[in-house]
Amino acid sequence: MERKTVGVIGAGTMGAGIALVCARREHGVLLLDANQTVLEKAKSYLISILSKDVEKGKISEQQKQETLERVQFVSDIEKLAPTDIVIEAVPERLDLKKSIFGDLTRICRSDALLLTNTSSISITEIAGGLTHPERILGFHFFNPAPVMPLIEVIRGKKSSEENVQAAYQFAVDLGKVPVLVTDTPGFIVNRVARPYYNEALRILGDNVANVEQIDRIMKQAGGFKMGPFELQDMIGIDINFATTQSVYTDFFHEGRFKPSRIQQRMVQSGSLGRKTGDGFYDYSK
Amino acid sequence: MTTANKTVLLTGDSPLYAELHQIMTDSGYRVVTLAEGAAEPESIFLAVEVNNLDLTAKQEQLSELDRMLSPSVPILTTSLAITATEAASWTESPERICGFGTLVPLAERALFEVAPALQTESDVLEVVQSFFHSLGKEVEIVEDEVGLVFPRILTLIINEAAFTVMEKAATPEDIDTAMKKGTNYPYGPLEWADRIGLDEIYAISRGLHRDLSEERYRTAPLLRKLVLAKRYGVRSGIGFYSYREAGGGEG
Repeated sequence: MERKTVGVIGAGTMGAGIALVCARREHGVLLLDANQTVLEKAKSYLISILSKDVEKGKISEQQKQETLERVQFVSDIEKLAPTDIVIEAVPERLDLKKSIFGDLTRICRSDALLLTNTSSISITEIAGGLTHPERILGFHFFNPAPVMPLIEVIRGKKSSEENVQAAYQFAVDLGKVPVLVTDTPGFIVNRVARPYYNEALRILGDNVANVEQIDRIMKQAGGFKMGPFELQDMIGIDINFATTQSVYTDFFHEGRFKPSRIQQRMVQSGSLGRKTGDGFYDYSK
Repeated sequence: MTTANKTVLLTGDSPLYAELHQIMTDSGYRVVTLAEGAAEPESIFLAVEVNNLDLTAKQEQLSELDRMLSPSVPILTTSLAITATEAASWTESPERICGFGTLVPLAERALFEVAPALQTESDVLEVVQSFFHSLGKEVEIVEDEVGLVFPRILTLIINEAAFTVMEKAATPEDIDTAMKKGTNYPYGPLEWADRIGLDEIYAISRGLHRDLSEERYRTAPLLRKLVLAKRYGVRSGIGFYSYREAGGGEG
Protein backbone atom coordinates (compact mmCIF):
# COMPACT_ATOMS: atom_id res chain seq x y z
CA MET A 1 0.00 0.00 0.00
CA GLU A 2 1.25 3.40 -1.01
CA ARG A 3 1.40 6.08 1.68
CA LYS A 4 -0.32 9.19 0.46
CA THR A 5 -0.73 12.75 1.54
CA VAL A 6 -4.41 13.27 2.19
CA GLY A 7 -6.14 16.59 2.75
CA VAL A 8 -9.32 16.46 4.83
CA ILE A 9 -11.52 19.56 4.71
CA GLY A 10 -13.79 20.25 7.65
CA ALA A 11 -12.70 19.15 11.14
CA GLY A 12 -16.15 18.44 12.59
CA THR A 13 -17.14 14.95 13.76
CA MET A 14 -17.05 13.49 10.26
CA GLY A 15 -13.84 15.21 9.13
CA ALA A 16 -11.97 14.35 12.33
CA GLY A 17 -13.16 10.75 12.04
CA ILE A 18 -11.96 10.54 8.45
CA ALA A 19 -8.59 12.06 9.44
CA LEU A 20 -8.26 9.34 12.09
CA VAL A 21 -9.10 6.59 9.59
CA CYS A 22 -6.40 7.91 7.20
CA ALA A 23 -3.74 8.45 9.88
CA ARG A 24 -4.24 4.97 11.32
CA ARG A 25 -3.47 3.57 7.86
CA GLU A 26 -0.21 5.55 7.82
CA HIS A 27 -1.24 8.23 5.36
CA GLY A 28 -0.04 11.76 6.02
CA VAL A 29 -3.03 14.00 6.79
CA LEU A 30 -3.60 17.72 6.47
CA LEU A 31 -6.78 18.44 8.41
CA LEU A 32 -8.18 21.79 7.35
CA ASP A 33 -10.71 24.01 9.08
CA ALA A 34 -11.02 27.79 9.04
CA ASN A 35 -12.18 27.69 12.67
CA GLN A 36 -9.29 27.28 15.14
CA THR A 37 -11.59 26.11 17.95
CA VAL A 38 -12.96 23.31 15.76
CA LEU A 39 -9.40 22.28 14.89
CA GLU A 40 -8.44 22.12 18.56
CA LYS A 41 -11.51 20.04 19.37
CA ALA A 42 -10.57 17.66 16.53
CA LYS A 43 -7.06 17.35 17.98
CA SER A 44 -8.44 16.50 21.44
CA TYR A 45 -10.76 13.97 19.83
CA LEU A 46 -7.85 12.23 18.05
CA ILE A 47 -5.78 12.19 21.25
CA SER A 48 -8.64 10.76 23.28
CA ILE A 49 -9.45 7.99 20.79
CA LEU A 50 -5.79 7.02 20.36
CA SER A 51 -5.22 7.11 24.13
CA LYS A 52 -8.10 4.66 24.54
CA ASP A 53 -6.45 2.44 21.91
CA VAL A 54 -3.30 2.49 24.07
CA GLU A 55 -5.28 1.67 27.24
CA LYS A 56 -6.96 -1.24 25.49
CA GLY A 57 -3.56 -2.46 24.37
CA LYS A 58 -4.43 -2.09 20.69
CA ILE A 59 -1.45 0.16 19.99
CA SER A 60 1.69 1.26 21.84
CA GLU A 61 2.32 4.77 23.17
CA GLN A 62 4.88 5.18 20.40
CA GLN A 63 2.35 4.19 17.74
CA LYS A 64 -0.06 6.70 19.20
CA GLN A 65 2.55 9.47 18.92
CA GLU A 66 3.45 8.45 15.37
CA THR A 67 -0.21 8.45 14.33
CA LEU A 68 -0.72 11.91 15.85
CA GLU A 69 2.42 13.22 14.17
CA ARG A 70 1.01 12.20 10.82
CA VAL A 71 -1.80 14.72 11.22
CA GLN A 72 -1.14 18.41 10.62
CA PHE A 73 -3.85 20.88 11.58
CA VAL A 74 -4.09 23.71 9.06
CA SER A 75 -6.42 26.64 8.46
CA ASP A 76 -5.28 27.84 5.03
CA ILE A 77 -6.59 25.89 2.03
CA GLU A 78 -3.41 26.79 0.03
CA LYS A 79 -1.56 24.32 2.29
CA LEU A 80 -3.34 21.50 0.45
CA ALA A 81 -1.22 22.07 -2.69
CA PRO A 82 0.99 18.97 -2.18
CA THR A 83 -1.85 16.51 -1.48
CA ASP A 84 -2.46 13.36 -3.56
CA ILE A 85 -6.04 13.03 -2.39
CA VAL A 86 -8.47 15.50 -0.82
CA ILE A 87 -11.60 14.41 1.06
CA GLU A 88 -14.02 17.28 1.60
CA ALA A 89 -16.35 16.81 4.59
CA VAL A 90 -17.98 20.18 5.16
CA PRO A 91 -21.73 20.66 5.86
CA GLU A 92 -24.13 19.59 3.09
CA ARG A 93 -24.45 22.90 1.22
CA LEU A 94 -23.96 22.97 -2.51
CA ASP A 95 -22.64 26.56 -2.60
CA LEU A 96 -20.06 25.77 0.08
CA LYS A 97 -18.91 22.59 -1.63
CA LYS A 98 -18.78 24.20 -5.08
CA SER A 99 -16.65 27.04 -3.79
CA ILE A 100 -14.23 24.62 -2.08
CA PHE A 101 -13.86 22.49 -5.20
CA GLY A 102 -13.31 25.68 -7.22
CA ASP A 103 -10.36 26.48 -4.91
CA LEU A 104 -9.09 22.90 -4.99
CA THR A 105 -8.99 22.71 -8.78
CA ARG A 106 -6.79 25.83 -8.72
CA ILE A 107 -4.57 24.78 -5.78
CA CYS A 108 -4.08 21.02 -6.23
CA ARG A 109 -2.17 19.09 -8.89
CA SER A 110 -4.34 18.24 -11.90
CA ASP A 111 -3.95 14.52 -11.11
CA ALA A 112 -4.95 14.83 -7.44
CA LEU A 113 -8.07 12.85 -6.59
CA LEU A 114 -10.76 15.20 -5.24
CA LEU A 115 -13.40 13.44 -3.16
CA THR A 116 -16.55 14.81 -1.58
CA ASN A 117 -18.15 13.14 1.42
CA THR A 118 -21.83 13.71 0.75
CA SER A 119 -25.01 11.78 1.36
CA SER A 120 -27.30 13.90 -0.76
CA ILE A 121 -25.60 16.31 -3.16
CA SER A 122 -25.04 15.42 -6.82
CA ILE A 123 -21.34 14.85 -7.59
CA THR A 124 -22.00 15.92 -11.17
CA GLU A 125 -23.35 19.26 -9.96
CA ILE A 126 -20.35 19.86 -7.68
CA ALA A 127 -17.95 19.09 -10.55
CA GLY A 128 -19.95 20.93 -13.21
CA GLY A 129 -17.98 23.73 -14.88
CA LEU A 130 -14.72 22.98 -13.06
CA THR A 131 -11.46 22.06 -14.76
CA HIS A 132 -10.58 18.36 -14.72
CA PRO A 133 -13.99 17.13 -13.52
CA GLU A 134 -12.78 13.58 -14.24
CA ARG A 135 -10.98 13.52 -10.87
CA ILE A 136 -13.96 14.64 -8.80
CA LEU A 137 -15.90 11.78 -7.17
CA GLY A 138 -18.20 11.08 -4.25
CA PHE A 139 -16.75 9.21 -1.28
CA HIS A 140 -19.52 8.70 1.23
CA PHE A 141 -18.51 7.58 4.72
CA PHE A 142 -21.13 6.44 7.26
CA ASN A 143 -21.28 7.84 10.78
CA PRO A 144 -19.17 7.24 12.87
CA ALA A 145 -16.48 7.04 10.18
CA PRO A 146 -13.87 5.15 12.26
CA VAL A 147 -16.44 2.40 13.03
CA MET A 148 -18.73 1.97 10.02
CA PRO A 149 -17.08 -0.14 7.31
CA LEU A 150 -18.97 1.09 4.24
CA ILE A 151 -17.87 3.71 1.73
CA GLU A 152 -20.06 4.54 -1.27
CA VAL A 153 -17.76 5.50 -4.15
CA ILE A 154 -19.91 7.70 -6.37
CA ARG A 155 -19.25 8.07 -10.07
CA GLY A 156 -20.16 11.55 -11.34
CA LYS A 157 -21.16 12.06 -14.96
CA LYS A 158 -17.60 13.10 -15.87
CA SER A 159 -15.60 11.00 -13.37
CA SER A 160 -13.05 8.86 -15.23
CA GLU A 161 -12.93 5.09 -14.87
CA GLU A 162 -9.27 5.33 -13.83
CA ASN A 163 -10.12 7.67 -10.97
CA VAL A 164 -13.10 5.57 -9.91
CA GLN A 165 -10.74 2.60 -9.62
CA ALA A 166 -8.18 4.70 -7.72
CA ALA A 167 -10.82 5.88 -5.22
CA TYR A 168 -12.09 2.31 -4.83
CA GLN A 169 -8.56 1.06 -4.10
CA PHE A 170 -7.97 3.93 -1.68
CA ALA A 171 -11.11 2.86 0.25
CA VAL A 172 -9.79 -0.72 0.40
CA ASP A 173 -6.41 0.60 1.61
CA LEU A 174 -8.27 2.44 4.41
CA GLY A 175 -9.58 -0.94 5.56
CA LYS A 176 -13.10 -0.09 4.41
CA VAL A 177 -15.65 -1.92 2.25
CA PRO A 178 -16.33 0.15 -0.87
CA VAL A 179 -19.31 -0.13 -3.21
CA LEU A 180 -19.69 1.61 -6.56
CA VAL A 181 -22.74 3.65 -7.48
CA THR A 182 -23.57 6.12 -10.22
CA ASP A 183 -24.61 9.64 -9.31
CA THR A 184 -28.29 8.99 -8.48
CA PRO A 185 -30.36 10.56 -5.65
CA GLY A 186 -29.57 9.01 -2.25
CA PHE A 187 -26.93 6.78 -3.92
CA ILE A 188 -27.55 3.23 -2.61
CA VAL A 189 -28.16 3.31 1.15
CA ASN A 190 -30.21 6.48 1.52
CA ARG A 191 -32.33 5.47 -1.46
CA VAL A 192 -32.98 1.78 -0.77
CA ALA A 193 -33.52 2.42 2.97
CA ARG A 194 -36.21 5.08 2.40
CA PRO A 195 -39.17 2.66 2.55
CA TYR A 196 -38.02 1.34 5.92
CA TYR A 197 -39.00 4.70 7.42
CA ASN A 198 -41.46 6.01 4.87
CA GLU A 199 -43.64 2.94 4.55
CA ALA A 200 -43.64 2.45 8.33
CA LEU A 201 -44.95 6.03 8.60
CA ARG A 202 -47.57 5.33 5.95
CA ILE A 203 -48.70 2.16 7.76
CA LEU A 204 -48.92 4.21 10.96
CA GLY A 205 -50.87 6.97 9.22
CA ASP A 206 -53.34 4.48 7.75
CA ASN A 207 -53.80 2.94 11.23
CA VAL A 208 -52.76 -0.55 10.16
CA ALA A 209 -50.58 -0.78 13.26
CA ASN A 210 -49.18 1.56 15.93
CA VAL A 211 -45.58 2.67 16.57
CA GLU A 212 -44.77 -0.03 19.16
CA GLN A 213 -46.36 -2.77 17.05
CA ILE A 214 -44.48 -1.80 13.90
CA ASP A 215 -41.15 -1.70 15.74
CA ARG A 216 -41.87 -5.05 17.39
CA ILE A 217 -42.90 -6.66 14.10
CA MET A 218 -39.85 -5.42 12.19
CA LYS A 219 -37.54 -6.78 14.90
CA GLN A 220 -39.25 -10.05 15.77
CA ALA A 221 -40.77 -10.95 12.41
CA GLY A 222 -38.19 -9.20 10.25
CA GLY A 223 -34.94 -9.66 12.15
CA PHE A 224 -33.97 -5.97 11.96
CA LYS A 225 -31.86 -4.76 14.88
CA MET A 226 -33.96 -1.65 15.46
CA GLY A 227 -37.52 -0.77 14.50
CA PRO A 228 -38.14 2.12 12.08
CA PHE A 229 -39.43 4.48 14.78
CA GLU A 230 -36.70 3.76 17.34
CA LEU A 231 -34.23 4.32 14.54
CA GLN A 232 -35.75 7.65 13.52
CA ASP A 233 -35.59 8.77 17.16
CA MET A 234 -31.91 7.82 17.23
CA ILE A 235 -30.97 9.41 13.88
CA GLY A 236 -33.03 12.54 14.54
CA ILE A 237 -36.46 12.86 12.96
CA ASP A 238 -35.45 16.17 11.34
CA ILE A 239 -32.38 14.57 9.72
CA ASN A 240 -34.44 11.63 8.48
CA PHE A 241 -37.14 13.94 7.12
CA ALA A 242 -34.55 16.11 5.35
CA THR A 243 -33.00 13.05 3.68
CA THR A 244 -36.41 11.90 2.43
CA GLN A 245 -37.25 15.37 1.15
CA SER A 246 -33.92 15.59 -0.66
CA VAL A 247 -34.33 12.19 -2.36
CA TYR A 248 -37.97 13.03 -3.24
CA THR A 249 -37.00 16.39 -4.75
CA ASP A 250 -34.06 14.94 -6.68
CA PHE A 251 -36.25 12.17 -8.14
CA PHE A 252 -38.60 14.91 -9.38
CA HIS A 253 -41.34 13.94 -6.95
CA GLU A 254 -41.48 10.25 -7.80
CA GLY A 255 -44.33 8.89 -5.67
CA ARG A 256 -42.19 6.15 -4.12
CA PHE A 257 -40.31 8.74 -2.07
CA LYS A 258 -43.16 11.02 -1.04
CA PRO A 259 -42.47 12.29 2.50
CA SER A 260 -44.85 11.75 5.39
CA ARG A 261 -47.02 14.45 6.96
CA ILE A 262 -46.78 12.68 10.31
CA GLN A 263 -43.01 13.06 10.19
CA GLN A 264 -43.30 16.68 9.07
CA ARG A 265 -45.55 17.51 12.03
CA MET A 266 -43.05 15.88 14.41
CA VAL A 267 -40.31 18.13 13.01
CA GLN A 268 -42.53 21.23 13.13
CA SER A 269 -43.43 20.53 16.77
CA GLY A 270 -39.78 20.19 17.76
CA SER A 271 -40.10 16.52 18.72
CA LEU A 272 -36.94 15.35 17.00
CA GLY A 273 -36.17 12.12 18.86
CA ARG A 274 -33.64 11.30 21.55
CA LYS A 275 -31.79 14.59 21.19
CA THR A 276 -34.88 16.57 22.31
CA GLY A 277 -36.05 13.96 24.81
CA ASP A 278 -39.17 13.16 22.82
CA GLY A 279 -39.93 11.69 19.45
CA PHE A 280 -42.00 8.63 18.65
CA TYR A 281 -41.10 7.55 22.18
CA ASP A 282 -40.70 9.57 25.38
CA TYR A 283 -37.12 9.79 26.68
CA SER A 284 -37.73 12.32 29.43
CA LYS A 285 -38.05 9.75 32.24
CA MET B 1 -53.91 -26.11 23.28
CA THR B 2 -53.36 -29.78 22.62
CA THR B 3 -52.52 -30.53 19.02
CA ALA B 4 -52.82 -34.31 19.25
CA ASN B 5 -54.75 -35.77 16.32
CA LYS B 6 -55.94 -32.41 15.15
CA THR B 7 -56.17 -32.23 11.39
CA VAL B 8 -55.27 -29.07 9.47
CA LEU B 9 -56.03 -28.67 5.79
CA LEU B 10 -53.23 -26.81 3.99
CA THR B 11 -53.57 -25.66 0.38
CA GLY B 12 -51.91 -23.19 -2.00
CA ASP B 13 -48.78 -22.64 -4.07
CA SER B 14 -46.94 -20.03 -1.99
CA PRO B 15 -43.36 -20.85 -0.95
CA LEU B 16 -44.87 -20.78 2.55
CA TYR B 17 -46.60 -24.13 1.87
CA ALA B 18 -43.66 -26.47 2.47
CA GLU B 19 -42.42 -24.69 5.59
CA LEU B 20 -45.89 -24.36 7.13
CA HIS B 21 -46.42 -28.07 6.45
CA GLN B 22 -43.17 -28.79 8.26
CA ILE B 23 -43.79 -26.67 11.37
CA MET B 24 -47.39 -27.92 11.70
CA THR B 25 -46.27 -31.55 11.44
CA ASP B 26 -43.44 -30.86 13.92
CA SER B 27 -46.02 -29.38 16.32
CA GLY B 28 -48.10 -32.58 16.21
CA TYR B 29 -50.79 -31.70 13.67
CA ARG B 30 -51.93 -34.06 10.97
CA VAL B 31 -51.76 -32.06 7.73
CA VAL B 32 -53.90 -32.92 4.70
CA THR B 33 -54.28 -31.52 1.19
CA LEU B 34 -57.44 -30.08 -0.31
CA ALA B 35 -58.22 -33.37 -2.09
CA GLU B 36 -57.57 -35.43 1.03
CA GLY B 37 -59.63 -33.08 3.15
CA ALA B 38 -62.55 -33.29 0.72
CA ALA B 39 -62.84 -37.00 1.58
CA GLU B 40 -63.11 -36.30 5.32
CA PRO B 41 -64.30 -32.69 5.79
CA GLU B 42 -65.72 -33.41 9.26
CA SER B 43 -62.20 -34.19 10.61
CA ILE B 44 -60.78 -30.77 9.72
CA PHE B 45 -60.33 -28.41 12.67
CA LEU B 46 -58.82 -25.52 10.72
CA ALA B 47 -57.88 -24.74 7.10
CA VAL B 48 -54.97 -22.65 5.84
CA GLU B 49 -54.96 -21.29 2.29
CA VAL B 50 -51.70 -19.80 0.94
CA ASN B 51 -52.05 -18.64 -2.69
CA ASN B 52 -50.60 -15.22 -3.47
CA LEU B 53 -49.46 -14.98 -7.09
CA ASP B 54 -52.48 -16.73 -8.66
CA LEU B 55 -55.57 -14.96 -7.30
CA THR B 56 -57.94 -17.02 -9.46
CA ALA B 57 -56.67 -20.16 -7.75
CA LYS B 58 -56.98 -18.36 -4.41
CA GLN B 59 -60.64 -17.57 -5.03
CA GLU B 60 -61.42 -21.08 -6.33
CA GLN B 61 -59.75 -22.82 -3.39
CA LEU B 62 -61.34 -20.52 -0.79
CA SER B 63 -64.77 -21.10 -2.37
CA GLU B 64 -64.20 -24.82 -2.33
CA LEU B 65 -63.12 -24.77 1.33
CA ASP B 66 -66.13 -22.62 2.16
CA ARG B 67 -68.53 -25.13 0.48
CA MET B 68 -66.83 -28.16 1.92
CA LEU B 69 -66.22 -27.21 5.56
CA SER B 70 -68.83 -26.56 8.21
CA PRO B 71 -69.21 -22.78 8.86
CA SER B 72 -67.73 -23.31 12.32
CA VAL B 73 -64.30 -24.26 10.88
CA PRO B 74 -61.96 -21.25 10.71
CA ILE B 75 -60.17 -20.61 7.42
CA LEU B 76 -56.86 -18.75 7.50
CA THR B 77 -55.88 -17.02 4.28
CA THR B 78 -52.66 -15.17 3.44
CA SER B 79 -53.46 -11.47 3.12
CA LEU B 80 -50.24 -10.72 1.27
CA ALA B 81 -51.63 -9.95 -2.20
CA ILE B 82 -55.22 -9.00 -1.31
CA THR B 83 -56.96 -8.04 1.91
CA ALA B 84 -58.59 -10.68 4.10
CA THR B 85 -61.77 -8.65 3.77
CA GLU B 86 -61.79 -9.17 0.00
CA ALA B 87 -61.01 -12.88 0.38
CA ALA B 88 -63.84 -13.19 2.91
CA SER B 89 -66.22 -11.47 0.49
CA TRP B 90 -65.80 -14.41 -1.89
CA THR B 91 -67.32 -16.84 0.62
CA GLU B 92 -70.76 -17.64 2.02
CA SER B 93 -69.43 -17.70 5.61
CA PRO B 94 -67.07 -14.71 5.70
CA GLU B 95 -67.09 -14.55 9.51
CA ARG B 96 -64.78 -17.59 9.70
CA ILE B 97 -62.13 -16.16 7.34
CA CYS B 98 -59.06 -14.55 8.93
CA GLY B 99 -55.95 -13.09 7.26
CA PHE B 100 -52.33 -13.68 8.21
CA GLY B 101 -48.96 -13.08 6.66
CA THR B 102 -45.33 -14.02 6.98
CA LEU B 103 -42.44 -14.85 4.68
CA VAL B 104 -40.06 -17.81 4.50
CA PRO B 105 -37.81 -18.92 6.12
CA LEU B 106 -40.17 -19.43 9.05
CA ALA B 107 -37.36 -20.47 11.38
CA GLU B 108 -36.35 -16.79 11.41
CA ARG B 109 -39.86 -15.53 12.27
CA ALA B 110 -40.48 -15.44 16.01
CA LEU B 111 -43.70 -13.57 15.31
CA PHE B 112 -46.55 -13.94 12.79
CA GLU B 113 -48.88 -11.11 11.86
CA VAL B 114 -52.62 -11.79 11.91
CA ALA B 115 -55.14 -9.48 10.24
CA PRO B 116 -58.79 -10.21 10.85
CA ALA B 117 -61.13 -9.27 7.98
CA LEU B 118 -63.86 -6.75 8.77
CA GLN B 119 -66.19 -9.78 8.78
CA THR B 120 -64.10 -12.02 11.09
CA GLU B 121 -65.81 -13.04 14.34
CA SER B 122 -63.87 -12.67 17.58
CA ASP B 123 -64.00 -16.37 18.55
CA VAL B 124 -62.40 -17.23 15.19
CA LEU B 125 -59.59 -14.80 15.99
CA GLU B 126 -59.04 -16.55 19.33
CA VAL B 127 -58.73 -19.96 17.65
CA VAL B 128 -56.28 -18.49 15.14
CA GLN B 129 -54.14 -16.97 17.87
CA SER B 130 -53.92 -20.15 19.89
CA PHE B 131 -53.17 -22.10 16.69
CA PHE B 132 -50.12 -19.92 15.96
CA HIS B 133 -49.06 -20.06 19.61
CA SER B 134 -49.16 -23.85 19.35
CA LEU B 135 -46.68 -23.56 16.45
CA GLY B 136 -44.34 -21.67 18.78
CA LYS B 137 -44.98 -18.27 17.20
CA GLU B 138 -45.95 -15.00 18.82
CA VAL B 139 -48.86 -13.13 17.26
CA GLU B 140 -49.32 -9.45 16.51
CA ILE B 141 -52.81 -8.47 15.44
CA VAL B 142 -52.87 -5.66 12.87
CA GLU B 143 -55.57 -4.04 10.74
CA ASP B 144 -56.38 -5.67 7.42
CA GLU B 145 -54.33 -4.14 4.61
CA VAL B 146 -52.45 -5.82 1.75
CA GLY B 147 -49.05 -7.15 2.83
CA LEU B 148 -49.63 -6.42 6.56
CA VAL B 149 -46.51 -4.76 8.07
CA PHE B 150 -43.23 -6.68 7.65
CA PRO B 151 -43.97 -8.18 4.21
CA ARG B 152 -45.15 -4.77 2.96
CA ILE B 153 -42.15 -2.79 4.18
CA LEU B 154 -39.64 -5.40 3.01
CA THR B 155 -41.33 -5.62 -0.40
CA LEU B 156 -40.94 -1.88 -0.89
CA ILE B 157 -37.25 -2.07 0.06
CA ILE B 158 -36.68 -4.95 -2.37
CA ASN B 159 -38.64 -3.13 -5.08
CA GLU B 160 -36.42 -0.06 -4.66
CA ALA B 161 -33.32 -2.25 -4.87
CA ALA B 162 -34.77 -3.79 -8.05
CA PHE B 163 -35.21 -0.32 -9.59
CA THR B 164 -31.58 0.43 -8.68
CA VAL B 165 -30.39 -2.77 -10.44
CA MET B 166 -32.63 -2.10 -13.44
CA GLU B 167 -31.12 1.37 -13.84
CA LYS B 168 -27.63 -0.14 -13.52
CA ALA B 169 -26.90 2.44 -10.82
CA ALA B 170 -25.16 -0.35 -8.85
CA THR B 171 -24.70 -4.13 -9.02
CA PRO B 172 -26.84 -6.51 -6.93
CA GLU B 173 -23.72 -7.45 -4.93
CA ASP B 174 -22.90 -3.82 -4.13
CA ILE B 175 -26.51 -3.04 -3.18
CA ASP B 176 -26.61 -5.99 -0.78
CA THR B 177 -23.20 -5.10 0.69
CA ALA B 178 -24.22 -1.45 1.13
CA MET B 179 -27.40 -2.30 3.05
CA LYS B 180 -25.64 -4.77 5.34
CA LYS B 181 -22.54 -2.66 6.03
CA GLY B 182 -24.02 0.84 5.85
CA THR B 183 -27.24 0.31 7.76
CA ASN B 184 -27.05 -3.08 9.54
CA TYR B 185 -29.72 -4.97 7.59
CA PRO B 186 -29.78 -8.68 8.48
CA TYR B 187 -29.52 -9.54 4.76
CA GLY B 188 -29.04 -7.59 1.59
CA PRO B 189 -32.47 -6.94 0.03
CA LEU B 190 -31.75 -8.84 -3.18
CA GLU B 191 -30.28 -11.99 -1.61
CA TRP B 192 -33.20 -11.80 0.83
CA ALA B 193 -35.70 -11.59 -2.05
CA ASP B 194 -34.10 -14.60 -3.71
CA ARG B 195 -34.58 -16.64 -0.52
CA ILE B 196 -38.20 -15.53 0.01
CA GLY B 197 -39.14 -16.04 -3.64
CA LEU B 198 -39.54 -13.22 -6.14
CA ASP B 199 -43.04 -14.53 -6.97
CA GLU B 200 -44.10 -13.81 -3.40
CA ILE B 201 -42.55 -10.32 -3.40
CA TYR B 202 -44.11 -9.52 -6.78
CA ALA B 203 -47.54 -10.71 -5.58
CA ILE B 204 -47.33 -8.29 -2.63
CA SER B 205 -46.10 -5.39 -4.76
CA ARG B 206 -48.79 -5.94 -7.38
CA GLY B 207 -51.45 -6.26 -4.66
CA LEU B 208 -50.43 -2.97 -3.02
CA HIS B 209 -50.45 -1.22 -6.37
CA ARG B 210 -53.84 -2.71 -7.27
CA ASP B 211 -55.52 -1.90 -3.96
CA LEU B 212 -53.95 1.46 -3.12
CA SER B 213 -53.66 2.68 -6.75
CA GLU B 214 -50.63 4.89 -6.25
CA GLU B 215 -47.41 5.39 -8.18
CA ARG B 216 -45.69 4.79 -4.81
CA TYR B 217 -46.41 1.06 -5.16
CA ARG B 218 -45.39 0.68 -8.82
CA THR B 219 -43.56 -2.62 -9.30
CA ALA B 220 -40.04 -2.37 -10.72
CA PRO B 221 -40.30 -3.72 -14.29
CA LEU B 222 -37.23 -5.91 -13.67
CA LEU B 223 -38.94 -7.64 -10.74
CA ARG B 224 -42.03 -8.35 -12.84
CA LYS B 225 -39.95 -9.71 -15.75
CA LEU B 226 -37.90 -12.00 -13.50
CA VAL B 227 -41.17 -13.50 -12.21
CA LEU B 228 -42.63 -13.88 -15.70
CA ALA B 229 -39.41 -15.70 -16.68
CA LYS B 230 -39.92 -17.95 -13.62
CA ARG B 231 -36.67 -16.75 -12.07
CA TYR B 232 -38.04 -16.95 -8.54
CA GLY B 233 -34.69 -17.02 -6.73
CA VAL B 234 -32.94 -19.77 -4.80
CA ARG B 235 -35.63 -22.40 -5.32
CA SER B 236 -35.60 -22.05 -9.12
CA GLY B 237 -31.81 -21.74 -9.34
CA ILE B 238 -31.84 -18.14 -10.54
CA GLY B 239 -33.28 -14.81 -9.46
CA PHE B 240 -31.28 -11.64 -8.91
CA TYR B 241 -28.34 -14.04 -8.54
CA SER B 242 -27.60 -17.41 -10.13
CA TYR B 243 -27.43 -20.44 -7.84
CA ARG B 244 -26.43 -22.93 -10.49
CA GLU B 245 -23.00 -24.59 -10.56
CA ALA B 246 -20.65 -23.20 -7.93
CA GLY B 247 -23.16 -20.57 -6.82
CA GLY B 248 -22.77 -16.81 -6.56
CA GLY B 249 -22.47 -14.68 -9.67
CA GLU B 250 -24.85 -12.09 -10.95
CA GLY B 251 -28.17 -13.21 -12.39
